[in-house]
Amino acid sequence: MLVANNPDVLAGLDTDASRRKFLSRFASATFAGLVAPAVLLTEFERKGGPAPAAAAAPADIVPLPDLPDAIAGQDLILRMMVDLRRALEKPIEQRRWAMIIDLRKCTGCVGCTIACVTENKLPPGIAYRPVLTETSGTYPNVSRRFVPRPCMQCDQPPCVPVCPVNATWKRPDGIVAIDYDKCIGCRYCITACPYSARSFDSGYFYSDFEGGDPQPYETVAAHEYNTDRIRRRDAAPVGKARKCHFCIHRVERGELPACIVSCMGRAGYFGDANDSTSLVSELLGQPNVMRLKEELGTEPKVYYLV
Amino acid sequence: MGAITLSRRGFLKVAGLSAVGVGALGYTTFRSLDPVEAEELRSAPAELKYTADVMCPAECGIMVKVENGIASAVYGNPYVPYNAATICAKGASGLQMVYNPNRIKYPMIRVGERGEGKFKRVSWDEAIAYIADRLTAIKRDYGPESVIMDAGDVTDRDTYWRLAFAYGTPNATEHGSICDTPRRHGPKLMFGGKRVEPDIMRPLLLRQPDGTLKNDYSYRTKLIIYAGWNPFTATRINYESRGTVEAKLAGAKLVVIDPAFSNTAAKADKWIPIRPGTDPDLFAAILRYILENDDPDDPSRRYIDWSFQDASVGWTEFASAFRSWWRKTDPINGLSYFTPEWAAQRTGIAAEQIVELAHEYGITKPAALIWGMHGTGHHYNGYIPSIIGTALNVITGNFDAPGGVVDTEITKSDKGGKATGKDFLKREVTRTVDGKTVTGTQEELHMDRFGDWVAAWDDVVGDYPRRMLEGVTLRQGPFRGRTYPVKAYILRTGNSVITGSATWKWQEALTAKDDQGAYKVDLVAYIDTPFLESGMYADVILPEASYLERVSLSDVYPSHPMIWLRDAVIDKQFESRTPFEIMIALAKALVERGDPDIKPEDFWEKYAQEADFWTEALAGAPGRPNVGRPLPYPNLPEGFKLIGTPDSLEAGRVEIDPENKTIRGEPVTVEWLREHHGVAVWPMSYHRFPGGILKTSSKKIEFIWDWTETVEGEEKRFGQYASYNKLIEASGNVPPPIAALGWQKYPKTFYWFETKWNFHTNPEYASYRDRYPFQLTSGRIHHAMSGTQMVDWLGRFMVEDTWLPINDATTYDEINIGPDGPTPTGRKLTIAPNTWALGVIQMNAADARGLGFKTGDLIELETPLGYKARGKVNAVETIHPGVLRVAFGAGGRFSPGLGKNFYFKDVTPNHNELIDPEALSPVMGQPAFADMLVKVTRV
Repeated sequence: MLVANNPDVLAGLDTDASRRKFLSRFASATFAGLVAPAVLLTEFERKGGPAPAAAAAPADIVPLPDLPDAIAGQDLILRMMVDLRRALEKPIEQRRWAMIIDLRKCTGCVGCTIACVTENKLPPGIAYRPVLTETSGTYPNVSRRFVPRPCMQCDQPPCVPVCPVNATWKRPDGIVAIDYDKCIGCRYCITACPYSARSFDSGYFYSDFEGGDPQPYETVAAHEYNTDRIRRRDAAPVGKARKCHFCIHRVERGELPACIVSCMGRAGYFGDANDSTSLVSELLGQPNVMRLKEELGTEPKVYYLV
Repeated sequence: MGAITLSRRGFLKVAGLSAVGVGALGYTTFRSLDPVEAEELRSAPAELKYTADVMCPAECGIMVKVENGIASAVYGNPYVPYNAATICAKGASGLQMVYNPNRIKYPMIRVGERGEGKFKRVSWDEAIAYIADRLTAIKRDYGPESVIMDAGDVTDRDTYWRLAFAYGTPNATEHGSICDTPRRHGPKLMFGGKRVEPDIMRPLLLRQPDGTLKNDYSYRTKLIIYAGWNPFTATRINYESRGTVEAKLAGAKLVVIDPAFSNTAAKADKWIPIRPGTDPDLFAAILRYILENDDPDDPSRRYIDWSFQDASVGWTEFASAFRSWWRKTDPINGLSYFTPEWAAQRTGIAAEQIVELAHEYGITKPAALIWGMHGTGHHYNGYIPSIIGTALNVITGNFDAPGGVVDTEITKSDKGGKATGKDFLKREVTRTVDGKTVTGTQEELHMDRFGDWVAAWDDVVGDYPRRMLEGVTLRQGPFRGRTYPVKAYILRTGNSVITGSATWKWQEALTAKDDQGAYKVDLVAYIDTPFLESGMYADVILPEASYLERVSLSDVYPSHPMIWLRDAVIDKQFESRTPFEIMIALAKALVERGDPDIKPEDFWEKYAQEADFWTEALAGAPGRPNVGRPLPYPNLPEGFKLIGTPDSLEAGRVEIDPENKTIRGEPVTVEWLREHHGVAVWPMSYHRFPGGILKTSSKKIEFIWDWTETVEGEEKRFGQYASYNKLIEASGNVPPPIAALGWQKYPKTFYWFETKWNFHTNPEYASYRDRYPFQLTSGRIHHAMSGTQMVDWLGRFMVEDTWLPINDATTYDEINIGPDGPTPTGRKLTIAPNTWALGVIQMNAADARGLGFKTGDLIELETPLGYKARGKVNAVETIHPGVLRVAFGAGGRFSPGLGKNFYFKDVTPNHNELIDPEALSPVMGQPAFADMLVKVTRV
């Protein structure tokens, strides 16, 4: 027996059981949180983290899709990509990345979850962005809601101060980053996150469960944090904490996070909350903006429209 | 290609193998990369390549990231308005299909009995020779019509059809008739179309008053009714996910009618649970209400837009036939047909709610009434809601109106053309019938259209097992009286053993032997990328290049003409070959064996390469008329058929043929598509009928389907059923499936009959009510289509209430598809509990409580016919009491090619073990997948 599936590995997986566990721990707060109004955030940055990666040089910015003009307004994807370009022209500390998920438009297809898994070459057992499903009521009066749950990129991130080696920190643009080379895999941050947004990379490959050969896409570099890492058993990020980073490697090339662009319901929005003309700033001005577990004071940068 | 060769070597190095070693056993030990190797792979540039998906028949436009020759991620193509950069979970997970360890890697020939799954690896030459030898002998001994080419579930079937038609059989098909043909019937009869979808595909490319073309992102629909249609989970029509929720935010009301609380129902303003198989009753009640209560003078009851009569024929006859039922009393409830009270008794929906729905639909404009696969397509009498639904959309003024419904079959781009080889069907052939020599066309040997299923526009796959066992009898046309056996079944990208009617019936047919102990069907060939159950019954297996490794065209259902290219974005894996290469190889092998019908000039002399074939298939694109408002091309004559690239039509670089009313610009080619992000898009317009898009005999909307008119002094038959009735009149042979309904011919207009295995509507089944109290219905899971369940990423997430990670801890001896087929790897693997999604039996929680079941209990379903299947209960509030729902193709998967699902085959139900293989819907022969009764017991 080479490697067996072990429950530990899959504990972070978005199975129904883990979902139930997650919901039983957090559900009431999670969904109660939805009714607390959002407030504009004050900036919080943990000092002392590594220097931020430089913004991508303009030559690295991908071209905008050449779509026909819209009769009114602009294609949402195009508009957000234009917003990104404006933000990328500013110094990094003046950007404030924010994600908005319109829960009225989420169809529960989990396309974003898989798009993220492929984008970031995530191993079995890790999903950065599961879609939580909550069904309630009694036949025939039932309701169901889908809540995609990426990392909240909190402005007051509970995961950051607990790190004993400063391997995780809040970047000036709001992204809570992990330095895989510094991380010692102690998992304090995983416990500290009230959203269960962090997972531990136990070093498994799909080939451990199927066929034995490495699957070709597992041998291709992931580009998290603008680095090119090919996942190996004996090197980071194996043995490290992992989580959603808003696909910052894409964003800094002028591309939207994989979850946003893939969304079948066009329920996701992304951009610079520090830019009053951006689409996300416009949406944040609506009265139906909520955040998860507002009462904890974590100041998430993921907002929900309800 | 140089870069790709390099990358392959790189990949093999990573795998710790030599190129020679790959084939040896196929199983190797994983090792990590060393830093030098890692750097080598890392430094390779990434490219984004445009192509068409085929993880499901939505066939979205996609961009594949290719690094070092390896496909590393799949994104939606932003230039394709159909999916507009979006991609669903299944589309994004295509990498695990393409690189699946259980992919078929090499040609194989069977060494055990059919069904045992014992194969040996052979060369391509041996495999092709195996097939060609048998096809040659079958043609000699029985005639080419004894060969069925079933090009399965994937739509780029044209190469296989061309080969089959050229060889001489008319029996080349695809999966349409095991999909949802009754659901398509109304649009087919009345528009010559097929798929009615709401006008919610955005963006729409629309001509502006200033002459420019612009994208419209606005929604006009005010009401969408989905009956038995679950686009959020099927994702079949990609744009209905974003379109529905966006239309709703723009003010549309969404009503979902479904026995189960689907994900689509979860977003609805109103979920109306309905008993399975009673959509005809609900639709008939809506139509009766609208007819009885319409008042042109009362704005609050002005339901009907009578202008539809200008563009239609036969409404009076249709309405009169419909009304004739009002005078009758239904034996099952003693009520007058089609009243709200009558429908309430049958559907389980309150009469007041039916009235409210009818009124709301009638008064709200624009609105879209959409019926789905499970609501109509999978029921014996599914034609009826399809016909009534089509009529309702027409009389309320919603057909092809902004914000209404679009028949996407007649608005999408044309493709295929001469490449498909249908011209071969017109060849003259001679056969002996009752000792006499008879001449006719190849087409007239068709086992369905000249046999038992005269009006089956799509061939009747669900009835193949019976014909394999009993043979074919032609009852119509010049060859009537002729019988022939089915001697070869070539299945390409389909899995009919699981999806084509009852599994056991297919197994019986494929393994039946004659008196000499030989298999009745001489040759079973299986051509595919994954190794599915039907492959277990094959004599010979050919590995087909996956959808990322071949060229062809999308086949989709957008609101206006568009087409995109499927392109080879990575190198072919292992020894797989493209459909084009397989066609050429088989054609050559047949010619070498002296085949008199296949000509080099129709194959390898005609097409130097794969792209040439598909360029020919594009020759007619878009093939739709320049009609509607706003007019797509105001610079070109109105009403003329458009052929050519969007840019040439726009610039007026065209030849206009006034005689044939054709506008010919520069032809769309594979090369042109490659230079334009893989896609061609022509403009949208509305009100594209009459004289425009309709494909009916009168070019009008036809409410009657067989009538005679005098045209220029000659009697002429019109209507979609006319040609079939002429055959029946000539032969005097009534097709048995309609004879069973008491019909002598196909009806002239509105008809009604009851569905099977439903005691709420059909008195024949009343006696089963107590002993078999549950209706069994099917559901669709986008993750769990028959051919994609081996994908690990999709097996980890729940879908609705039918696909749930509730496995027990399971340890198994791994079996993979190796060079010689299913082979134990020697590894023992364990799946932790509650980590792998199983197909389960969705049951109403109150029903479960009554029976003492709780979620996770293993139960057995048994039908009145004695068939059984096992699965775990999921006791939930999200389904109509008295109804059980099992996802289609999501259980009992006994091919090791299915990955982890294979190890749970004994605790997951195969829906098709339970269906009645005799219950083929009478006009099109579609299996009535969703008509069955069961009783349940604890295991």
